[in-house]
Amino acid sequence: MIRCEHLCKVYHGVPAVDDLCLEVPEGEVFGLLGPNGAGKSTTILMLTGLIEPTSGACYIDDLEVATHPIEVKKKIGYMPEDVGFYPTLTAEENLEYSAKLYGMGKERKERIKELLALVGLEGVTKEVGGFSKGMRQRLGIAKALINHPKAIILDEPTANLDPQGVADYRRIIRHVADQGTTVLVSSHILSEVSKVCTSAGILAHGKLVAHGTWDELARIGGDEKVVIHIETRTPMPDLQSPALVAAEFAENRHRARIVATVDIRDELADTLAEAGVAIRSLEAEHPDIEDVFLSYYHTTEEAA
Amino acid sequence: MRTEGLRVIAAKEFRDHVRSRRFHILLAIFLIIAVVGLIDGSIQYNQQIEEYNENLAQVSDDEMMPSYFGWKPSILSAFFKMSMLITTVGVVLGCAMGFDLISREKESKSLKILLSHPIYRDEVINGKALGGIAAIALAMAIVLAISFAIILIFGIVPNLDESIRILLFGGLSFLLIFSYFAIALFMSTVAKDSSNALIYTLIIFIILSTLIPSFATNESVMEIVVGEHPEPPGMDKFSAVDIIAVSEPVGDQAEPSEVDLAWEEYGEKADAYWEKRNAFTDAVNLLSPSHNYQEMAMAVTNPQLAVAFQSNSFNDPYDEPPESGLAVLGDLMGELAKNILALFVIPAAFFGLAWIRFMREDIR
Repeated sequence: MIRCEHLCKVYHGVPAVDDLCLEVPEGEVFGLLGPNGAGKSTTILMLTGLIEPTSGACYIDDLEVATHPIEVKKKIGYMPEDVGFYPTLTAEENLEYSAKLYGMGKERKERIKELLALVGLEGVTKEVGGFSKGMRQRLGIAKALINHPKAIILDEPTANLDPQGVADYRRIIRHVADQGTTVLVSSHILSEVSKVCTSAGILAHGKLVAHGTWDELARIGGDEKVVIHIETRTPMPDLQSPALVAAEFAENRHRARIVATVDIRDELADTLAEAGVAIRSLEAEHPDIEDVFLSYYHTTEEAA
Repeated sequence: MRTEGLRVIAAKEFRDHVRSRRFHILLAIFLIIAVVGLIDGSIQYNQQIEEYNENLAQVSDDEMMPSYFGWKPSILSAFFKMSMLITTVGVVLGCAMGFDLISREKESKSLKILLSHPIYRDEVINGKALGGIAAIALAMAIVLAISFAIILIFGIVPNLDESIRILLFGGLSFLLIFSYFAIALFMSTVAKDSSNALIYTLIIFIILSTLIPSFATNESVMEIVVGEHPEPPGMDKFSAVDIIAVSEPVGDQAEPSEVDLAWEEYGEKADAYWEKRNAFTDAVNLLSPSHNYQEMAMAVTNPQLAVAFQSNSFNDPYDEPPESGLAVLGDLMGELAKNILALFVIPAAFFGLAWIRFMREDIR
């Protein structure tokens, strides 16, 4: 449904998006993760036809965005990070204007009513100028859905939401996904993306450094280093292994935190047994998903 | 293929303008001043028409030569006074309606949302301009309708000639307000926020309405551009006899004296100087929509006076007074063609610049 082929965007000689290749199948809820300045918003602006790529191409439902912007915009719903509406109009009037711009006929009244109920803004008659950021964000989601899009693209959708708003947002995304709509969510908040997305891509310095399902990402990211915690009854000697990256001892060498490139628990157990040290516990730490993603970012930063 | 966007955006902009407090306040001020001016003008007109009728009776009795003092008064003179108001309040209305059209979208972050709809970018700026034009046209229509109503209340029924000229006056006023609306719209695309856009618009307004006309007639500027005024022949060079000779030539065969030749040469130089100077003043003034409007407004509301200015015969009381009405206006069109053209070209140029700037706007 959403495809990027060698997508590049250069601003004043600096690549904001660099040779991005990405594919999001139909019906998938895909998270585009990355720190601030990674190129997420620029990618989204190209996908929504608001800016043109410097090179490469992106496609929505097999239509190239740069050459068919109007057709593409009819198929997608978009909510920018800094979502803005006309402050002197009500939520209903803002959606009405949006629906007219999509060329919707009389059916728009029913759709607006339905969406306002979905985002919890039904019966709100005050002008949008008096809305909180969270209310605007909710209205932004409603606007993104007004035209029954085949794909919706949300840029930092939970940035201004309170806990109730976040819960509502998750409910709405699940509801939309259940109807077969493809969803692309951009965020730098991993926990948010992980709760609604079935797969994700990680952007850093404009490049896609990893992508896949959560398990795939954790496995690939976690393969690089293993943390092993050891507790012994007697002090440990110095530990040697080609895979050993770092060893930190504590409590009179009764405890150690070992960082290795591979799981060397067996090797460590043998070494300690040979040294006559009784082991109380020997555990490999499962990589924390946040650490895994940070490692992706850091790896790219080091490479850069 | 175009989309529905243009119509939808224009309709929304028009609704926004006519619902805005800013528009209501400025239109109200505009109307109050126009109404007061027209009431005053109507009273004066009724007095003048009485005096004119009395004079006319005397003229026919005395067989006095017609003179400019015998011009028939016209209710259009009240509209000429209104043109002064339009160069201030009307212009402010135009600026106020355009200065934040694009910058407000940027500030409220709604531009990105707007452009994410299936519409072409030019439909946004064209729609905004159309909405503004429609609101300005509505304002002018209200002012003209109320003006007609007031003069009718005072028992003044404009004839066809006058009615057409009143409508032309409305059209000209619309063009002036639209000129400043287009300038403000351009500033709105250039400036980062509405306050800067307003400041830039006011600067341009001051330049076009005040600085350019004063620059065009400034003596120091004239000296640099067209040089010094030629000096008349020095009086000390000639004797009293020479001067008498100039004033009293002896016979048809008399050879022109040195004084004659000197004055003739001076006359030619002075004519060339004034021609150059007027050409420069006219050219610079063309850049000022306010000046072009005033020239045109005078031609439409008081064509006799405009002809007198154009032919420089105002001071000659024995010339035939120019005919009144559209015929005179038609004669003036040749002279004022450049002003009419400028009244169209300036808003078109600024709208073109706004269009280009908006089409190249970086959305991030």
